[in-house]
Amino acid sequence: MNAKLKETILNPIFKGNPITVLVLGICSALAVTVQLKGAFVMGLSVIIVTGLSSFVVSLMRNSIPNRVRIIVQLVVVSLMVIVVDQLLKAFSYSIEKQLSVYVGLIITNCIVMGRIEAFGLANKPIPSLLDGISNGAGYALILLIVAFFRELLGSGTLFGMRVIPESFYAAGYMNNGLVILPPMALILLGCIVWIQRSIQKDLQEK
Amino acid sequence: MNTNNNIYTIIYTTVVVILVAAILAFTSMALKPKQEANVKAEAISQMLTAAQFAEKSELEALGNDKILSKYVESIDKALIVNGKGEIVDSLDKAKSQIYTESDLKAQNYLIKKGNADALRLPVFIFNKEGSKVTVIPCYGAGLWGPIWGYLAFNEDLTTFAGAYFDHASETPGLGAKIKDDPAFRAEFVGKTTDLSEDRIFNIVKGGAKEGQTNAIDAITGATMTSKGLDVAINLWLQAYKPYLESGVETIRQKAQAAAALAQQADSLAVSDSTIVAE
Amino acid sequence: MEYLSLFVKSIFVDNMIFAYFLGMCSYLAVSKNVKTASGLGVAVIFVLLVTLPINYLLNVYVLGPGALQWLSPSLADVDLSFLSFIIFIAVIAAITQIVEMVVEKFAPSLYSALGIYLPLIAVNCAILGGSLFMQQRDFVNVGEASVYALGSGIGWFLAIVTLAAIREKMAYANVPHALKGLGITFITVGLMGMAFMTFMGISL
Repeated sequence: MNAKLKETILNPIFKGNPITVLVLGICSALAVTVQLKGAFVMGLSVIIVTGLSSFVVSLMRNSIPNRVRIIVQLVVVSLMVIVVDQLLKAFSYSIEKQLSVYVGLIITNCIVMGRIEAFGLANKPIPSLLDGISNGAGYALILLIVAFFRELLGSGTLFGMRVIPESFYAAGYMNNGLVILPPMALILLGCIVWIQRSIQKDLQEK
Repeated sequence: MNTNNNIYTIIYTTVVVILVAAILAFTSMALKPKQEANVKAEAISQMLTAAQFAEKSELEALGNDKILSKYVESIDKALIVNGKGEIVDSLDKAKSQIYTESDLKAQNYLIKKGNADALRLPVFIFNKEGSKVTVIPCYGAGLWGPIWGYLAFNEDLTTFAGAYFDHASETPGLGAKIKDDPAFRAEFVGKTTDLSEDRIFNIVKGGAKEGQTNAIDAITGATMTSKGLDVAINLWLQAYKPYLESGVETIRQKAQAAAALAQQADSLAVSDSTIVAE
Repeated sequence: MEYLSLFVKSIFVDNMIFAYFLGMCSYLAVSKNVKTASGLGVAVIFVLLVTLPINYLLNVYVLGPGALQWLSPSLADVDLSFLSFIIFIAVIAAITQIVEMVVEKFAPSLYSALGIYLPLIAVNCAILGGSLFMQQRDFVNVGEASVYALGSGIGWFLAIVTLAAIREKMAYANVPHALKGLGITFITVGLMGMAFMTFMGISL
């Protein structure tokens, strides 16, 4: 695999992570991370939508009239999101109910449009597909990390399975209710950014 | 080809729109049966949990087909009554016809408007271990979004057999407890409704009074959700009041008739024995 | 008064940023100084106020289950709600384009200050999110939907201007290097969110 393709795939996971570095896709990252299950489904949906949209737009890139560029992109992304939502409603109804509004909001998820504009319009279909998938994966990674802490500390479970043993509760340990509430997700994200920038000094703002 | 040409732009956008619409229509049609089955199974498993046939998680593990067949086996009558308690229609039992959340929302709006004739309230009567369990829905507003659920009554139509509640976006760990905490739902079992009171049922902040059978404790830290649930339950029980009262009356009359028959049989037996004695 | 209660609730309790995290991307990017922040905030209020009632009417008369009954009773079974996303976003994109043209004509300095963030209002999750929440909430009439739109917009405006004010002051604080910029902003917004939670449960 040539070096450029490798970079396309690996970059968005850490160094060019869409959430912590590019600051895209924050909205849903915060809202659906209360439980690992929801974060996982959302992450998977974003991977599929970003990858396929980038791929399709890249196929169309030489034929789209410039004046309607943004609208055509929006239509393609909306199509993907609606199909994913309909599939979820049919095969994963209880999760779809939890994610509800936020699945529709994938359309406005800055990552999708951002990657189409920055990569899909200027590159061949297969690299665009890979770029979309790995950006989605970088996004999913952050989602899973935040959800891991929020579910563990807030409900004592992981993926719905009890992890903190009953004996802890009996001894007086209580679930941290604050972690389940929205503001904590932001603070967790701030800490993740702090850790990442301590490791990668070149990302620090002066 | 000049991609910025006007005619090209128009043709292009038209083709894209037609293609997208076709794909969406196809997907929607193909997935609709499965989606509808999901919605039905969800409502039915909520009702079955309220009636204490099984726990929701057990039902969910069974899968849609088994849930639907369980409904068809256990349902006795699925009626639609109006605000005056009169039976005006029925739901198709074989097709597992149920009321969706939006149906409940529509009825909630009509109840609040006060138009008793226009109401179409569902009543589900199940056969459970030889007796009848009546399940009716309720719907209202929680703190962040709508809340709804099912109330299950024993044959006397006043004692709770159980209840199940669901919500759209209540706070996890607090308001969400109406759904997630089986202990909250279990509080309903054995409690009664008092159709003669203004407040038919009470969810009391700080704890229900000792000995008050038409009340349960509100959820600590979830005052708004508990209050919303209290309002929803009372509003819907008021709407069902004519139906429930006539049902209770029928039961009372049947009991009276049965008691009268028993008395008659007793007195006949006494006169028989006196004849024998003479 | 139901309208007043809904209005206050949508500014403080259902705050688009602090309760639902909608519109974060442009929120974080444009909150570096108060002047541009208020410009964007006003644009968001305007787009919400125009698009939400339009989408409400579309939802009631075209998209919802049985909504097309007014055209012909035979259409009572038609449920076009699967088209909601695409119709809403089309309306939003169109209105944003109009707002862009108006701002360019009447406030050119604001137009250049906002740069790319003006057309990006079209993909601002707060706008689409507002319409999607409206669909879930089922308002009784267009008036309620408009009050909700105005309140949500003002809530977003309030959030971005306050954050911009704090960030302007933080430029003089001694923030650790790895936390500077994005990191401390996230934490600040989280703390502001916690403060806004005190409004929960208020009913007028």
